Amino acid sequence: MATERTADVTWNGSLLEGGGTIDRVGSGAIGPLEVTWADRAEEETRGRTSPEELIAAAHAACFSMALSHGLAEAGTPPSELKTSATVSFVPGTGITKVVLRVSGDVPGLDDAGFREAAEGAKVNCPVSKALAGVPEIQLEVG
Amino acid sequence: MPRIVREAEIAWEGTVSRGAGTVRAVSSGAFALPTTIASRVGDPEGKTSPEELLAAAHASCFVTSLGSELARAGTPPERLDVRCVITMDEVGELGHRIVSSEIHAHGTAPGCDQAGFAQAAEAADAGCPFSALIKASATVTVEAHLDEGGDDGD
Repeated sequence: MATERTADVTWNGSLLEGGGTIDRVGSGAIGPLEVTWADRAEEETRGRTSPEELIAAAHAACFSMALSHGLAEAGTPPSELKTSATVSFVPGTGITKVVLRVSGDVPGLDDAGFREAAEGAKVNCPVSKALAGVPEIQLEVG
Repeated sequence: MPRIVREAEIAWEGTVSRGAGTVRAVSSGAFALPTTIASRVGDPEGKTSPEELLAAAHASCFVTSLGSELARAGTPPERLDVRCVITMDEVGELGHRIVSSEIHAHGTAPGCDQAGFAQAAEAADAGCPFSALIKASATVTVEAHLDEGGDDGD
């Protein structure tokens, strides 16, 4: 069955001097969150999120679910997984790189088995598939 | 232009079906949100999901592209409203895939007519970095119209 998720954004004014708000999402979990071009495209975030940070959050969450599922299917369910995703954005070029870093506590599984499961999750998670156009998706395990 | 880096993390405890995770915005600190597989594929029950985060990313990415295109055309916007709906579905043997992202955009831009707004929306879709990426697995559709008379949001 198809799953739909919705988000609403308002923008006022110009790109450089104006600003936007992620007003609400279907679940109600996010918003309102302010977004501006400066906070997206400069090193300093000033506490504001950006499309790239939201993509990082989506990818880290999707990867973790896929990895948890894969480990459980293999008979070694994890007790804890920690994943971080870092998205690189070059204004004018686009999203150039995602780095996934994962560590976990998986009873009964060695490092090689964990790495193999993580590689599988990286290839198969729906967000990885959707981001297949990113030039480089890198996985760091441990 | 410099390379901009944004980071988020998630800690997941327990199995995928009964466990739960908390996803945090590391770079900005703007959010820390619970998520579960049940709320991802079923009723959200107030919890976010990867697809909802992508919807927020695409809407906020597209809105800046649309604003830029309108400004480039000499009709900068006063206000833009963008809704994004991301759909995940099971696609035969491929399993779950993000299959579509629908953008609905409307707003006010003094001096711009419906045709100009539609043209700017098309150019925004072509230029938005997220639109370009997600086309690897999903169909992106854009529906855009200028609000008639005034700056009323909806």
